[in-house]
Amino acid sequence: MSHFGWIDGGIVGLYLLATMAAGLAVRRYVGGVEDFLLAGREMDVHLGIASLAATEFGIVTCMYAAESGYRYGFSGAVPGILMALAMFVVGWTGFCVKPLRDASVMTLPELFERRFGAGVRRASGVVIVLGGLLNMGVFLRMGGEFLMTVVGFGATTAGGESWAASHRLELTMTALLLMVAVYTILGGMLSVLVTDFLQFVVMSIGLVAVTYLLLGKVGFAALADTVEARLGPGGFNPLVHPEMGWPYVLFYALFNLGVVLTWQTSLQRVMAAKDSRTGQRIYVGTAFFFVCRFLIPGLWGIAALHALGPAAPGVTSLSAMPTWLAGFLPVGLMGLLVAAMLAADMSTDSSYMLTWASVIYNDIVAPWRRPGWTDQKGLLLNRLLVAAIGVFLLLYGLWYPLRGDLLDYIGVTATIYLASMSTLLVACCYWPRATQRGAAAAIVVGAAIPVAYLVLEQTTPAVRTSIGPHWSGILAYVGAALAMVVGSLSQEAA
Amino acid sequence: MSLARAFWWLLAWACLVWYSTLTVYVAWKGVRDIRRMLHELRRRS
Repeated sequence: MSHFGWIDGGIVGLYLLATMAAGLAVRRYVGGVEDFLLAGREMDVHLGIASLAATEFGIVTCMYAAESGYRYGFSGAVPGILMALAMFVVGWTGFCVKPLRDASVMTLPELFERRFGAGVRRASGVVIVLGGLLNMGVFLRMGGEFLMTVVGFGATTAGGESWAASHRLELTMTALLLMVAVYTILGGMLSVLVTDFLQFVVMSIGLVAVTYLLLGKVGFAALADTVEARLGPGGFNPLVHPEMGWPYVLFYALFNLGVVLTWQTSLQRVMAAKDSRTGQRIYVGTAFFFVCRFLIPGLWGIAALHALGPAAPGVTSLSAMPTWLAGFLPVGLMGLLVAAMLAADMSTDSSYMLTWASVIYNDIVAPWRRPGWTDQKGLLLNRLLVAAIGVFLLLYGLWYPLRGDLLDYIGVTATIYLASMSTLLVACCYWPRATQRGAAAAIVVGAAIPVAYLVLEQTTPAVRTSIGPHWSGILAYVGAALAMVVGSLSQEAA
Repeated sequence: MSLARAFWWLLAWACLVWYSTLTVYVAWKGVRDIRRMLHELRRRS
């Protein structure tokens, strides 16, 4: 039973109004393509931290991190620690991100063209957009399911429901996406940054307030007792958990390093920074946030395990956390949480739409751009691309029913992109003998291994137990690196 | 309290304290960054 009332509705309405006003107010500062895609490269550290944190925390993140807490206890927060370490080291040393920002490029494939040629740039653009869009395709539905459960719209009556009542999720998320699309299309990165800032503040207040209430009312000791009783030592240490172990830790170490180095939405903050030093400081300043990003929703997941148990009727590991929240939060705080989660989702959607549009414009459409094109024409094309991505999200993610395992789906789509792109970036920046053939081989191998695993998993179920998603992921990273080395050395020898 | 429980207790509270502090600090300083960014863009145009 949800406690969502008119006070909560008022808080949510006020938040939405403020976001739209802020997003639309800055659209007049957009003068050209660089303003639209990178805010004129004028972003400073604190705005960058707010934007990066808001972008990388969506409802989908909250759902998976809470599910990890529900299933694996505190061990489920280990990927967050690994990501924080990766981001801190990369930001501190400037590994790859410094040469990338100093090159003054707009996207990763643009840097690759300088070293490996136009073909690799286009192939990288296609892999990035494919991986990114397929990954993002499920965000809307996940966000909608969380919101419907928390506000109590999830329960449906048997038959006799109007079309609008039975499609509440689709209609709510369509309206939300339309709002995000309007300010992103008009203001580009400038609107994204300003709304990200507002959304970071609202999201953080909501996350922190709910967690203080949880620790105050339930207590850390009760949560730890639940983990010990239900999951044993594996709930505290992933190395002794039967489903995790070294492959899990190693896979997430490689995966998170790949995300930090090449995930275009993170890199866009580095490239929008006023210089490489500012970009590095944004990474260092945001690093510990990634521990919070996993541990705070992880605690909510453990609280759901504590309150509902491991096998509550009608509750899955994914829906356990929102179901628990619906009954736990009082009026007022419920509104704050819904506003916080809307903020998290809107900031992620706007940034992702803009980011993938920028790669399509800059790296896939670029070869067909005529020399005489004005900045205004480029601006119009970018706006149309953002709108087209919005339409894709609606059709693919919301109205098209997705089949299969969502977690595996997200992992596979991300690895297809991350394994090859991180190999290309490291080789591009630090290995003088890297060649075009090596880059092409890394793209093919990095994409082929996770796709092959996904197909084999469906056709030969034994593959899941004999190899598993973690070993297949590790193989993708190692395979892409080997392909780069072998391909480059063979071209050099020829 | 075992070492593993102590580690996660410390990390959970570190997250809450650090995140609360960061929110206030970034909320304060971020406004200045937005003003400076918009000023630069206005000056350029």
